[in-house]
This record gives sequence, structure tokens and C-alpha cells, in this order.
Amino acid sequence: MIFAHGTLLPDSELSEVLKNLPGELDDLRQQESLDPELAISALDSLGGRLDRGELDALIAQFAPPGALEALAQVRPMLTQENLEARLDLELGPDFRSPQPRPFGHSISLPLGTLFHVAAGNVDGLPVFSAVEGLLTGNVNLLKLPREDKGLSFAVLQALTDQEPKLASWLYAFDTPSSDHATLKALADLADGLVVWGGDEAVAACRALAPPGCKLMEWGHRLSFAYLSRWVGLDADLAALADHIVETGGLLCSSCQVIFLDAEDRAEGENFCRTFLPVLEEAAARRYRTPGQAAQATLYGYEHYLEGLTHPDRGSDIVFRGRACSLTLSNDQELTLSPLHGNVLVKRLPHKDLLPALRRQKGRLQTAGLVCPAEERVELTNLLARAGVNRITRPGHMSSTFPGEAHDGEYPLRRYRRTVDIEK
Amino acid sequence: MFSRQRLFWSRDPYDLPGTDEKFVRATADNCAYHMEKCPQYRQLAEGLNFSPDQLKTVDDLVKVPMVPTLYYKRHAMFSMPRWRMAMKVTSSGTSGKFSQIGFDWGCVFAEVPMVLRLGWYHKLIDLRPTNYVVLGYKPNQNNHTGVTRTMFGLTFFAPPIRRSYALHYQDGAYVPDLDGCVRALERYAKSPFPTRVVGFPSYLWFGLKRMEELGVSLNLRPGSKILLAGGWKQHYAQEVDKSRLYSLAKKILGVEEENIKEFFGAVEHPIFFNACPRHHFHVPIYSRVLIRDVNTLEPLPYGQVGLVNLLSPLIKATPTASVMTDDLGYLEPGSKCGCGLDSPYLTILGRVGLSDIKTCAAGAADLLGKGEGL
Repeated sequence: MIFAHGTLLPDSELSEVLKNLPGELDDLRQQESLDPELAISALDSLGGRLDRGELDALIAQFAPPGALEALAQVRPMLTQENLEARLDLELGPDFRSPQPRPFGHSISLPLGTLFHVAAGNVDGLPVFSAVEGLLTGNVNLLKLPREDKGLSFAVLQALTDQEPKLASWLYAFDTPSSDHATLKALADLADGLVVWGGDEAVAACRALAPPGCKLMEWGHRLSFAYLSRWVGLDADLAALADHIVETGGLLCSSCQVIFLDAEDRAEGENFCRTFLPVLEEAAARRYRTPGQAAQATLYGYEHYLEGLTHPDRGSDIVFRGRACSLTLSNDQELTLSPLHGNVLVKRLPHKDLLPALRRQKGRLQTAGLVCPAEERVELTNLLARAGVNRITRPGHMSSTFPGEAHDGEYPLRRYRRTVDIEK
Repeated sequence: MFSRQRLFWSRDPYDLPGTDEKFVRATADNCAYHMEKCPQYRQLAEGLNFSPDQLKTVDDLVKVPMVPTLYYKRHAMFSMPRWRMAMKVTSSGTSGKFSQIGFDWGCVFAEVPMVLRLGWYHKLIDLRPTNYVVLGYKPNQNNHTGVTRTMFGLTFFAPPIRRSYALHYQDGAYVPDLDGCVRALERYAKSPFPTRVVGFPSYLWFGLKRMEELGVSLNLRPGSKILLAGGWKQHYAQEVDKSRLYSLAKKILGVEEENIKEFFGAVEHPIFFNACPRHHFHVPIYSRVLIRDVNTLEPLPYGQVGLVNLLSPLIKATPTASVMTDDLGYLEPGSKCGCGLDSPYLTILGRVGLSDIKTCAAGAADLLGKGEGL
């Protein structure tokens, strides 16, 4: 399917759409750029419909279970007030008007055309990316992921029904990744290519983008918890356990490794014995079906078997719980956990923290910090200097904060350009 | 020596108590063989404190090192060189990665009496020439999936006149042709010979719905059958009530419920499970099934839902004596079925973690076996 001009078209129209696209994009460019208010007001209205339950049927049809819960988290970001606040924060309050400069003035304009490639890792990601493109006044060409079962088409349709003027600024294609010719044609039209995905997707997009096309990569990340002390911090441990089970290690912000500010292996073992029942309690509370618990148990058991045959893992101690597990390892590396409530525990004294984290530079995202209040500032600074971009309370590692940056930067700034004009 | 063949050449395919001793002996021999020939398996077994001499009775089978299908997807394990194997078969890889399982010649030799005995018992064998419509993959040298092999094998229970396939291999990929199958069925309905439809239940369902839309209603010749294998795969969301499928098959093809046969198996456990007339999968003598607690992996009694653990000493090319599937199910005593078979029967409820897993944690897509391109 193709989404163009506010309607869904069959794949048979692809060559026609691609043939006309360069001309249509040039025509749009000659007009005034898209007023962000138009997108903001359409999103705000759509948010209202969401609150009134008018979109529940659409979500039930296209989105997976749990989508409403996930939407509730991002819902506050879609209000007019928060969207405007975001534009002000990221682009500056005066971005709409010319700014005087010693040589004359400068104006902020959209990059032009953005080609978004979302590799299907989070539901609604293609639409989210397109919305960022609209807010910055760009035309948006979306390559939908294979896993998208129609959610993006449905939301784009709802958005353009709400504000028909947005129709010219949105195109979506569920073209398979193997259709290199179409992807190349779309990339050739773009001023910027926005890619969300793992190393493979990012590498493929680098090859796709023509020279001069700005690449904006939102790659995959790793996150962890850092505990300088845990005795007596039961509420923090419970919140961390809940986070681990809830996200299953699947998000960029999910805790993969619990680093302990400890030298002694016995201290690590004590922590595991203390934390395992807390994790079990979270698993018992969160897993509502036997399938969820079974999945967690299978992943934990498989990881245990891997340890039996892996030459470097002979010293691992596995603490197997009910539908969860902790693996105490001797190394200090930030690595992917076995997922699904099975998490790694490693000793990392704070003097070794920076070099250990630097080995994963470019992949670091969130640190959930558990420590006494008096150590918080010092440890926060250390984590930030090591390259971590988000430092949160343990239960908030995957929470969304209005106004937060994305992987260390404000994306909307990257989707605009500055034009300097001499007097 | 030959303990496996002694089990597989046993007379009654559902006499579990009568073959318990043979099964345990063959399993102990099988584990000992793999521990000797496959260092990786030996490490697993020793790490789990297992040795084959611990197997004395069927109650000891719980101790056989259980290898999850997830492990086979991440590691290819073989206990003999490729040249000694009859073939190498893969799972369908619905979720991305697939298992690779070797089949030795002794395994193929043991499968023959199993398939013939069960085929005879379940009235699959017919000497009349038969037309086949396969709602699955057309065999191809690039396709090594177990399900393709199974479906092709199912076309030999009655001598094949011709076969039409729903999935054809073209330019490196399979392309569906359900309409072609509908046309073939229309032709075969006029032939003097019976027809057998072999395929995935989901394809049968889509095909029958398509025929209903087109207003096609046929009356296949007496003796025609529908043979269903391979499960619902990625179409689990459309899984329909079996009774709806059967009544649609009767309405569109004129095939009675008693002539719809279902099979269950896995590439890691290629035992020929046949559904009885009451649509239950009774455990045949070549297999034993344990249901494991979803939290602790401890074995569960009859009636309780857990992970399905399948045991068989069939294969020597790959260690598959005890396979932990990612299916949820439960066992019931055979007497509860009422079809006359005493062997317990297995009900599969579905696969764990059915929802499409999505991830943005670095490296997790690979670990989940999803691969990831653009």
C-alpha cells in the first residue's frame, strides 16, 4: 500500500506516485513552508479523540496488546501546550522570525524533504518520526517496517482527515527492504534521511543515502543500573525489579546490567541473594499469563545452558528464580542481558566506571542510579562524563519526560537549517 | 546396540507401558552416543550433572538434559560429520532464525516402520491413485525445512497421480498461488480418482474462505482426505475453531470430518503424531512427553498447563533426546479421550511469547533471532 495525498493507494500505483513525486515536492518547496501550528493543532485534536476513546477501535485493530498503556505514557507529549513548549525548547522561542546578525539576519527553515526509515522496533515509531518532521515543517516520506500491520497508515489517515492541509506533506510506503530501486528513488529525493534501528539498518541507510543527504541516525542503545549502596534502599530495589520485568530488557532504556560499586565477589553474591526474591515478586505481579512466565523461564534456562558451554563464562554464578534469573559475572562490560526478566549483575567499583563505560561509547543511554543522597551529585557527574545521556531513578529508566533530549540531543534542531542573509 | 531400532520396530504403536523399558534403554544409549561424539552436548550434560546410567525407569527420563529449541536456533550441534548424514533439515524459522537438525541413516530406517504403522493405524494408506493439492511449499533444492519434507512425505500414503502446490519457488523466493490450487481442485473434482489436500491449516482456512467468496463448491470423490500439518505458524491470530474449519471443508469440498487428519511434529522431534478421531494427539511409543512448570521447569501432573518437553531417541546426527519446545500445552490420560487409545494425549495451546517482539536494545534483535534489515 501507499499513502499519498491523504489517501491509501494500491501498490500498482507505485511507479506513478514515484514519477510524480519530484514535481510535487518542488511545487511544495516553492510555497510557504508548513506552519507548525497546523500540525500541532491536528495532533492536539487527535489527542482529544484518543482521550474520548474514539480511536480505541483503530488501536485494537492495528496495535498489539499493551499499546494503550504505552500510548498513555506518551499522551502528555501530544498536547498543544507541550508540543509548543518542545518547539520553544529545541528550536528557541524566536525560531519563527528572522534573527538579526552583524551581517544582516538569519532565518530558520525546514531541511526540506525527510526520508524516514523506522526498522519496526517500537509500535508507532514511523508516525512519531513523521510528526517530528511535520513539526519542523518538512515533507515526510516514510518507509514502513515489515512488522507494521497497518497502524501507521491508519494514524496518518486520521491525521490528514483531521487536517487535510497536511496531506501534501505526508507519504508512506510499505515497500519491502528488498525493493532497493524504490528505496533509492526515495532517498535521492531527500534532504535528510532519518533512520531508527540497529547497526544493520543504520549501515544499510548509510549506503542508501546519496552524498550530501544529511544522515540522522537514531541507533540502538544499552542501559544499566548503577548501585553504590543497596542496603536499606528497598523501595529503589523494588522499582528496579519492576522496571526489569516490565520492559524485559527490550528497550534502549532497559536495564541490561546491574553494576555494583563493589570489589568483593561475596558482596555480589549477597546482593543477588537479596535481589532475587524482589525480582521474583515483580515477575509474579507482572506476568499475567503462563506464556509470559514461560518465555522468561526459557530465556533464563537457555542463558544458563549457554554458560555451560561458553569458555569465558565458567566463573558465572546463576541465581535462578521463578520466571527470572540473575547471573553474577566477573567481567565489567556493559553487555546485553539474556532479556525477559533475566539480568546480569557485575561488580564495577566507581574508580573503574569510566573506562568500562567508554568501551561502549556511542551505545550508552540511561543509567538508573541507586545511591545515598550524599553521593548522588558526584556519581551523576561521573556517569554523565562517561557518556551516559540519561540518569534517572531506578524505576524511571524507561519513563518519558516532557522536554527531554533524545540520545543526547534535540532532534528537531537537526531537522531544520539556518539561512544567513547579508544586508 | 540397535536399542533404537528395537523400539521403532515394536508392533503396537501406542503400547507405552509395553515399550517403557525399550524407550529408556534406547534413550540412555542415545545420550551416551551424543556425549561421546558431540563435545558441546557433553559439556551441557556434565554441567547438568547427568550421566546415561542414571536412566533406569521412565521416571528417570526427567533427568535427560533438556535442550530448548531456542538453543538449537543459536547453535548447530552435530554428533557426526555431514557426509555420514542422510540429510540436514531446518525448522521453518517463522520467528527469524531456524534450527538445523541432522538426520542419520539409522534414523531414516527407524522412521519407516513408525510412519507405516501409524499410517496404517490411522487409515492413511490407500492403494487408489490420488490427486494431491499441497497447500505448502513445493520442494526445492534450496528449501530444507522439515515441514516441506513432511508434506511431501504425506503425498506417498496413496500413489500420487499429480501434485499442485500453493507455494512455488520463483527467482529465489516462494510466491503463493491459492487461486491456482482452487483451479486444480475444480479439475480434480471431475477426475475419477480421489483427491488429498495436504497443507497448513491456516492455508486451508484461507483457501476455503477464498472459494466461498468465489462461490465455488465442490464434491471431491469418495475417499478424498484432508491432511493438516505444520500448525498455524505466523497466522496464529487467525486460528479458528476447529469445528468451523471442518464444517467449511464439508461445505466447500464435500470432505467429512472423519476424513480430516491432523499431524503434529517438530523438526527437532520428528515423531509422527496423528490425531485420533476425536482430534487428540495420543503419544506414540516413539516419544514421551513431559509438561514442565512455566516458572520452575519441574514436571507437572496430568491436566496442568506448562511447557511441552518432547523426548525421543530417534536421532543420532544431532542430540535431540529431550527437546524443550516453546509451546504451551497439557497432557491428559488416554482414557479421558474415549477413542479407545490408552496412551496419554497432548493438547497444544499455543506458543509462548506470541506477540511480535520489538526491541531497540543494542544487539537484542539478533539475540531474539529476528535479524534486522531496514
